[in-house]
Amino acid sequence: MFEIRTRTARVLVQLVATILVIPFVFPLVVMVKGAFAGEGLGNFTAVLQVPGFARFFLNSIIIAVVVVALVYVVTMMAAFGFAKLHIRFREIYFWLLLACLTLPEVVLLAPLFATDIRLGLYDTYWAVVLPLAALQVPFAILLTRNFINSLPDELFEAARVDGANSFRGFIYLVVPLTRPIAAAVVIFTLVAAWNNYLFPLVFLQSPDLQTITLVPQYFVGQFSNDQTKILASAVITAIPEVVAYLSLQRLFERGLSAGAIK
Amino acid sequence: MRLLMTPKARLRPLSVLAAAALAISGLAACGGSDSPSDAGSATSGTVNWWGWTPTDTATAQGYIAAFNKQYPDIKVNYKLVNISDWVAALRPALASGKGPDVFDMQPGAYVTQFKSFAVDQTALAEQALGSDWKSKVAPIGISGLTADGKLTALSVGAVYAGMLWINADIFAKYDLRPPTTLAEWKNACQVLQRNKVGCFVQGAAQQGFDQDTLQSIANSVQPGLWTKVSKGEAKWTDPGIVRTLGIWKDLFDSGIMQPGAIGYQQYPDANNDFLTGKYGMIMMGTWYTQYATTKAMTAALSAAGVRDAKPFPILPVAFPDVAGAGNTSAMYGDADFGLAISTKSKARAAAETFVKWMATSAEGQQVVADQLNDLPALTSVRPNFDNVELVDPARQKEPVQQLVTTAAGVTEPRMSLLNADVQNGILAAATSVATGKATPEEAAKTLQQAAEAAGVTFQ
Amino acid sequence: MTETSTRPRRVLPQRSSTKGGGGHSGRRGPRRPPGLPWILPALVLSVGLLYYGIGYTGYISTLDWDGISPDPEHVGARNYTRIFHDPVFWAAIRHTAVFFAVTFVVQTLLGLVLAVLMHSRLRLAALYKVVIFIPVVLAPAIMAPVFRHMFAPDGELNWVLHHIGLGSLAQPWIGQTSTALPVIMFITIWEWTGVTFVLYYAAMTQIEPSVLDAARIDGAGNIRLIVSVIWPQMRGTTVALAILGAIGALKTFDVPYLVTIGGPNYATEFLGTYIYRQTIPLNHVGYGAALSVILLAVALVVALILQFASRERGA
Repeated sequence: MFEIRTRTARVLVQLVATILVIPFVFPLVVMVKGAFAGEGLGNFTAVLQVPGFARFFLNSIIIAVVVVALVYVVTMMAAFGFAKLHIRFREIYFWLLLACLTLPEVVLLAPLFATDIRLGLYDTYWAVVLPLAALQVPFAILLTRNFINSLPDELFEAARVDGANSFRGFIYLVVPLTRPIAAAVVIFTLVAAWNNYLFPLVFLQSPDLQTITLVPQYFVGQFSNDQTKILASAVITAIPEVVAYLSLQRLFERGLSAGAIK
Repeated sequence: MRLLMTPKARLRPLSVLAAAALAISGLAACGGSDSPSDAGSATSGTVNWWGWTPTDTATAQGYIAAFNKQYPDIKVNYKLVNISDWVAALRPALASGKGPDVFDMQPGAYVTQFKSFAVDQTALAEQALGSDWKSKVAPIGISGLTADGKLTALSVGAVYAGMLWINADIFAKYDLRPPTTLAEWKNACQVLQRNKVGCFVQGAAQQGFDQDTLQSIANSVQPGLWTKVSKGEAKWTDPGIVRTLGIWKDLFDSGIMQPGAIGYQQYPDANNDFLTGKYGMIMMGTWYTQYATTKAMTAALSAAGVRDAKPFPILPVAFPDVAGAGNTSAMYGDADFGLAISTKSKARAAAETFVKWMATSAEGQQVVADQLNDLPALTSVRPNFDNVELVDPARQKEPVQQLVTTAAGVTEPRMSLLNADVQNGILAAATSVATGKATPEEAAKTLQQAAEAAGVTFQ
Repeated sequence: MTETSTRPRRVLPQRSSTKGGGGHSGRRGPRRPPGLPWILPALVLSVGLLYYGIGYTGYISTLDWDGISPDPEHVGARNYTRIFHDPVFWAAIRHTAVFFAVTFVVQTLLGLVLAVLMHSRLRLAALYKVVIFIPVVLAPAIMAPVFRHMFAPDGELNWVLHHIGLGSLAQPWIGQTSTALPVIMFITIWEWTGVTFVLYYAAMTQIEPSVLDAARIDGAGNIRLIVSVIWPQMRGTTVALAILGAIGALKTFDVPYLVTIGGPNYATEFLGTYIYRQTIPLNHVGYGAALSVILLAVALVVALILQFASRERGA
């Protein structure tokens, strides 16, 4: 974006970037230092040896993947509808959705619990997946609607003139062109689902459904607190998320939009 | 192919949502009731136990394994729920009927909250220990867990507070004796600070630990006053309490409390600082006894991030007579936790077996006692010090045994008399006085108002 | 909304065919296909699942209840009148407002600048991108003790200050009412700038290079480029971030509760922490519910204001 023609400019840009990033690195360094304190790598092996760790990891993956898939499909459809299609009372529906964002999680526990029992969902993956998805969807729609709005109408009209209906327009136009924002939505939803602690705690009963966010609990008690292992478990928990972020990076590059208009 | 939506079809989704919401709203929270449930067998079955303590699953598994030696056909599943999430997780679980069969119960606010879900265990206690059962268990375990005439849980063990713990090595190094008055305390701190060693550390951001310190100060000012005020027999504006808050402020002004104490939390901040030798004194209760052992202290040091940890001996020391009135500041305590049985449990008989074993059998209580975390409820049981390796038995054995013996006779309650709002008010008073935002008189007045607003009746 | 400069002029007359406010005025043609089936899944999922929660909360806000006993007392609007007389509530609102203003401005600036930098030719860009994003991924519950330690009187921050000659600035950051809120703001900015960054980065991929080239040919320097060309095109993202930021500020709970427990002396009490405190440890479930309803109302009002304010400027 910046034009960097001279060497001084290049050094300056690098310097500015580095200075801005230092405050971010500082707490991370403190944290990693803490994770290696005491027993060093032993902390990490202790975390991995928590009984059932592999199972927790798997459960977290299952829940996260289902939530991301559900949110992606529902969001893309809804954002497309809000941005490009005709809906009576459209803004009212939109604000209805937005209101869902305002609820603190803790307020939802009792009503969600009652619903789960009634629908027989308590102690199943769905008891966690559905509320997580429901909470993420408005946020994702808010972001995606913007993005789709800025896609030129002519594209869709051209497609319609060619005989394509909304559905084909969706598959062949919206999905490819929204890659960058879709990547953002996937990442944020993944993080929210992976890190969620309260819902698995309250809605999952059997030990073989527990998620990885419950692992630090093994190291905290009323009268004890094993910081080193907690930090080690935080590092281990973070790794899949960072890996996902890195692999989605290429989707943030300019997509096919340049070619489509021409 | 276009999808056609008629105006009627458009309204349909909304009405479906409304109907669903109405149907589900019929479920608005059901309270607990003592409805008779299928009790099941007393010697076999599955019991789900939820607790915040034992604080690590390994210890709980140890208890369960010992239990299974006697009752191999009862499977107990322990689910550790951190105390900070306890209320949020338990309330819906108990209300739904699909929650735990056995759950931890703490005296005080939790008893009030969950009493309607707990079975009255008086009959169970009589069955286990005979009609004179009350004389066989620590009295503090009974009163704290009784509400509305119902024994909501059988106490497993108790914790007591009102003492200080010192780093014996640091005290020996600087030739200091444990302080017995406020002046001696200030002096000890000056010596240590001169030598660039921390004196006393506390996580003063937290309600429970501040309350302990205040209660100990009050016990030094006027024994028994704190309990009276907690019951409503005296007011929080009593001059004794104002004096207590004044001494509390003095702890901050004189530098006994470490700088930034108000922003510190006891676990892990203060605890780690004390265990890594940065400070010479800390105020903890009998649960700290476990750190007198080599094994626990080495593990705790490692948890605090120290490599090649070298354990040091810690000693319990009586709270100094800070008021200078010649009173010994008495200790106080509560049942640490009891085991309650859910009224909606479908495995009630097996649950009773488990609770009976943990709380009233010699074997179960011995296992609990030897952890050195809780002091056992059964008065006939004491920790077996022959099995325990202290860091420095020569210096530690006597004081620790003394502590355990004294504690067993304590009757003054710790938290069980105060409801959550009053506890909140106590923290507000403590921090406002410590930061200088309010004088002790003003803080006492605000606290009294808060207590009255919370529904406490005063004479 | 973002508009590219290559959009051709419209020939057909405009017709706004929706009721209920807003919409992109004048860009709609007469024959758009119906969109309701597309938004239905979202409505069913989110509205269906969560509106029971909202309704339930509204109902219990009229009770004086502890969440368990079978006979709650119906008190109508009393909880609400008590809220208006509650000094802690107003303090929480003040803190939330200040918090939102500061964190939003800083996060937007940082996120924008970093996004621009990362789009330029930079060595180790991948590393920077990861470092900025990792805080988003780390649970506040785990980072809270780390930060408490960092900001402690003998913690890493004061250590650094001493070593770079600014030792006089060293103080107990968390233990003072004056500096506790800035600490919370710092931690929040640390945690969430990654989100702003990712969103701006994604939005910038939509900028036509031809526009940038044209500006540069006109002689615009780098700063000018950001202010006059890039920033205006980010408006949609910025508004979305503002709405999310406002709602997030109102709901904020994890950081102030875990790091400072809302203290010292309520200096870092937020609406989110106050709701939690009332609902869970203190058991005033009705009061907490009333606070939640107020949170919802304030959030909607703020979001509406932000949306309309941006529209006016955009049209």
